[in-house]
Amino acid sequence: MLSMRQLSKVYRTHMIETHALRGIDIEVREGEFVAVTGPSGSGKTTFLNIAGLLEEFSGGEYLLDGVAVQGLDDDARSRLRNQKIGFIFQGFNLIADLNLFDNVDVPLRYRGFNAAERKRRIEEALGKVGLASRMKHYPAELSGGQQQRVAIARALAGQPRLLLADEPTGNLDSQMARGVMELMEQINAEGTTIVMVTHDPELAARAQRNVHIVDGQVSDLDHGHVALRAVKS
Amino acid sequence: MFAYYLKLGLRSLRRNPVLTALMVLTLGVGVAASMSTYTVLRAMSGDPIPHKSDRLLVLQVDNSPALEPGQALPENGGIGVDLPDLSSWLDVRALLEHDSAYRRSGIYGISGVIEPEQDGAQPVLSRGLAVSSDFFPMFEAPFRFGGGWSAEDEAREARTVVLSAALSERLFGGTDPTGRTIRMMDTEFRIAGVLETWMATPRYYWLSVGRRFGETEDIYVPLRTALAMERDPEGNVNCNGPTPVDPGFGGLLRSECIFMQYWVEVPEGGRAAYEQHLAAYVAAQKSLGRLPNGGNSRALDVMEWLVEQEVVGSDTRLQALLAFAFLLVCIVNTVGLLLAKFTQHSGEIGVRRALGATRREIFQQYLVQAGVVGVAGGLMGLALTFGGLWVLSQQSLDVAHVARLDTGMLLITLLTAIAASVIAGLLPTWRACQVLPAAQLKTQ
Repeated sequence: MLSMRQLSKVYRTHMIETHALRGIDIEVREGEFVAVTGPSGSGKTTFLNIAGLLEEFSGGEYLLDGVAVQGLDDDARSRLRNQKIGFIFQGFNLIADLNLFDNVDVPLRYRGFNAAERKRRIEEALGKVGLASRMKHYPAELSGGQQQRVAIARALAGQPRLLLADEPTGNLDSQMARGVMELMEQINAEGTTIVMVTHDPELAARAQRNVHIVDGQVSDLDHGHVALRAVKS
Repeated sequence: MFAYYLKLGLRSLRRNPVLTALMVLTLGVGVAASMSTYTVLRAMSGDPIPHKSDRLLVLQVDNSPALEPGQALPENGGIGVDLPDLSSWLDVRALLEHDSAYRRSGIYGISGVIEPEQDGAQPVLSRGLAVSSDFFPMFEAPFRFGGGWSAEDEAREARTVVLSAALSERLFGGTDPTGRTIRMMDTEFRIAGVLETWMATPRYYWLSVGRRFGETEDIYVPLRTALAMERDPEGNVNCNGPTPVDPGFGGLLRSECIFMQYWVEVPEGGRAAYEQHLAAYVAAQKSLGRLPNGGNSRALDVMEWLVEQEVVGSDTRLQALLAFAFLLVCIVNTVGLLLAKFTQHSGEIGVRRALGATRREIFQQYLVQAGVVGVAGGLMGLALTFGGLWVLSQQSLDVAHVARLDTGMLLITLLTAIAASVIAGLLPTWRACQVLPAAQLKTQ
């Protein structure tokens, strides 16, 4: 599903070069639930942004569901992102002006579905996260946990192959966090591949395997059954 | 997607009402200032009879005398300096005969007091024109009742009159008065017809006297009737030539004094032929000892005549120029305000990009949003334009008559506002497209 080889990312300014990722090799198979952990500033979010085609990388190779990402123009990356990837952010990133229905509608609009298909998918996605009855509500009227559920519904509505989650429970209390985690596990059980960046060792432990990134490099593997290795450079 | 963008645009107006109000007001004021002055300029400089303005020719016959060696031109200009704006009866009479193959009309200003039918009622002072029978079809004067008079009526100096709509309503209410008579100039005049409200803008056929805009004259009588009744011309009579003028109305008619306008209607593409015809007239007059400088004579069409007569003042043009410069300033301000507004949207743009929006889709969405601001600004601008026109109409009666917003100008005003906002939105929209989603999502 996701394959990175010798992937590097360098941020350059006039004064300094920052090596955010230093030639990492990561492979995630279809249907896996992988937690990416590491201290702040280690490169986890950079990895997630590159995985989600939100940032370009400086070197190496990245295949997303068999598609070589390098060299794709902005339009093609946007389309690929829209079709194959769902995002869950720590800050939910719902659009405050739009009600839940319209928030979940956003990625479907860019996919080009007709109104009936969009409606069906929105209702199904909101139903899945238990918020079907609150479609006309606005994000501000919901709790943090509910907002994250809407974000999950939005990510699911397009039926992506890969779900990328950046600290999905970082802004939630433990009870809400548990609920969101259970939902993600359920989604994974239904076949969606999930890569989750987290600080929380408890959450990381619930993933099928962990990838630990330190100083822009993959440092170790906790489960040996996946093809994931660190390349020290 | 356009409907979707439109919906988002309308919703975004509510997001920051103060900023939205500022933008709408800025655009509205700019549009109103430019549109109100443009309305006046357009009306003043517009073609009053577009489908035949190139076929209606006014004559400027140079009847200045031959100057003796050492003889100075008159100090006050007039004959001998510029071509005369008016013509003498000598020329008009001769041209009416010479141009018998064409529709043509001599025109001069008259006035008359209409005496009331009932005792005790107030007499009505009316301004009018003495015109030839072709005047009405030539200038396409619209009739409410009846019509003009025939060439035969004119030849026999018939006491007949055409009234303006306003005068007819004043004298007879809304009823059809054709066939009835009014008494003026100590004579009974039979009413041949009543014009519709007629606003030739400007009144190109008779620019000589008074207001150049607004409703036309109250009464129209046959030219030969007015002359037979020795109705003195209202307005300019220029007798600046060296030849003395005999006293009395007969002296005026026999003189080279100019006080009439002479118009002729030529067929499509017939102007060159008419100019040859005019040259033949001048040559014939020369052989009779008149028009020593007649070679300068010319025929101008309606638009050339309006330019020659400087119907649109330079201050009106300057006003319009300044107003459009002001609109430019407003657009620049709107650019700043839109930049501020769209910067607030950076987070949303990041989310949309992450969810699959291409740069082009973001560009379209925010350009439509700028357009929505433009529509709101246009509606505000329309309201303010009415106000602006009212202010302008206080300047003079001429401006008051043209300071009106027609359907075309309503559309132009709205389109100007939308175009202005879209132009103003280009830079902010381009900036919105450049938002890096990753950077925005981290800061959310």
